[in-house]
Amino acid sequence: MEPDEKNGTPERLLDRLRKSWFPPAAVLAAMAGIVAAAYRGYTGPQPPLEKPETPPAPEPAAEKEAEQPPVPLELHYARTAVIGGRDSLHPFRRTLLGVAVGSGDRIHALGDGEVRIFEAGGSFVRAWQVVSDVTCLGTAPDGRIVVGAPGRIEIYDEAGRHLGGFAAGEKDKPAAVTEVRVFGGEVLVADAAARIIRRYDTSGKQLGAIGTRTKTGNFILPNKWLDFDVDARGVVRATDTGRHQVSAWGLDGEPLGSFGKFGMRNAEDFVGCCNPVNLAIAPDGRIVTGEKMVARVKVYEPEGRLLALIGPENFDPNCIHIHLAVDSKGRILAADPVRREVLVFSRVAKDEDSKQ
Amino acid sequence: MSEKSTRRQFIDRSVRVVGFAGIAGAAGLLASRVSGDAVYQVDPFKCTTCDLCRTACVLSLSAVKAVNDFPKCGYCMLCPAYMDVTSQPDEKGIPAGKICPQDALKRKIVGDVDEEDPNNNYYEYYVDEAKCDGCGKCVKACLPPAGNGSLRLEIRYTYCVECNECAIRLVCPDDAIVRIPTPGFPPAGSHGEVEND
Repeated sequence: MEPDEKNGTPERLLDRLRKSWFPPAAVLAAMAGIVAAAYRGYTGPQPPLEKPETPPAPEPAAEKEAEQPPVPLELHYARTAVIGGRDSLHPFRRTLLGVAVGSGDRIHALGDGEVRIFEAGGSFVRAWQVVSDVTCLGTAPDGRIVVGAPGRIEIYDEAGRHLGGFAAGEKDKPAAVTEVRVFGGEVLVADAAARIIRRYDTSGKQLGAIGTRTKTGNFILPNKWLDFDVDARGVVRATDTGRHQVSAWGLDGEPLGSFGKFGMRNAEDFVGCCNPVNLAIAPDGRIVTGEKMVARVKVYEPEGRLLALIGPENFDPNCIHIHLAVDSKGRILAADPVRREVLVFSRVAKDEDSKQ
Repeated sequence: MSEKSTRRQFIDRSVRVVGFAGIAGAAGLLASRVSGDAVYQVDPFKCTTCDLCRTACVLSLSAVKAVNDFPKCGYCMLCPAYMDVTSQPDEKGIPAGKICPQDALKRKIVGDVDEEDPNNNYYEYYVDEAKCDGCGKCVKACLPPAGNGSLRLEIRYTYCVECNECAIRLVCPDDAIVRIPTPGFPPAGSHGEVEND
């Protein structure tokens, strides 16, 4: 059929439609869309804006400082040198992960993916690169240097030549290596994942484990870090951070005792959730501990009597570790991983300490 | 353009087309802003736990809640976010004060239980969202070096009413309330069913 000449063309039909209902309907639809969109998140009248009564809360613990010791301490230390700091010729630019004392009291520091060796006086000797993801280092009396990485131990000579290494931990559960020490031909490895200290020979054969004979079977490590050291008699001292204790162990895994407890008011106690986080043993058997939250270093007798306190004014308050070592002269080396500097503390008379 | 169209008709049509396009565009823009493809959330790296999440939310009990990242948590006996470690200790030497003013941070022992020495226990910490008002005191107390930093503030969509413009975002001094895309997330309005106690 032929369309009406006047009214039947498609163009005319469209024109009529537009003129009749389409434009108002389109405008109405758009307005309805706007209204619907604007109220999409509206769920009716809101509850009154009354807030629950909130009693005044105590200030967060981290902002408060532990009280200082009321009794005079027997030993006093003063900072006598800074190694690898910002103004040093060999600054640690990215990381500082550990410190150890090698033969001749040479200072070994692990950071920026390197082992850097300094003379006892602080002058730079040499550096070499180590495997990636390293976490800690230790030194052997024969000059060898051992570094730990997740699930791995690597051994180097003093010149940086790689002598070998072995896997640490179980096949399906590699060790979270947080500390390594060499004692009597054995390599002792702190495994924070299994919460034990593993004993290996240098070929990687596991000889035993330390820390399994506690009431709960292992160390309690809320901060997921285990540190330890071995004294000249072969007594292992370890940080049981969740219990706020330093515990002593024989190499055969026999528990030999412990000292320490939580406390925020007395300097001999350990503050916060989990302390002490780091530990080293001096040649005379005294125990040096490092704490976080209140970043400080303390020196104890093996029985637990507090001898000295190196206060938080020496360290960055955000330190979650203060890596420690003690040289043959009793100088304490404390590596601050936030400021990336190794601080050297020497024994002084009481008056000199107060001047610092 | 038809040959028979006059200039007046052409202008009339053009104005209508442009007007309609403008209205439709505005409607689409508004609809997209409240669509379920993006939601407000707290950026934990920007958040400084300033306490405005508690006071600025339009709800009487803020939709912002503390959440615990369990793999990061140390399961401490002496959790600095749970107890005020500087408060007076009880007879067992454990601090008696708590950090949360609402008592919304709870804990339970996991694993073997040592009744005699609590130091031998591991504790799992969880948030009672019906009480938590998003003040962030626990989050602040858990930050390193005191804690492991496992607690953070989060907008919980079971409570959030998804205002077109988040009232907290308007006042957040750290620009920590961000709009994040959530492809596949249920559209806005289909959640928010849980009532505040």
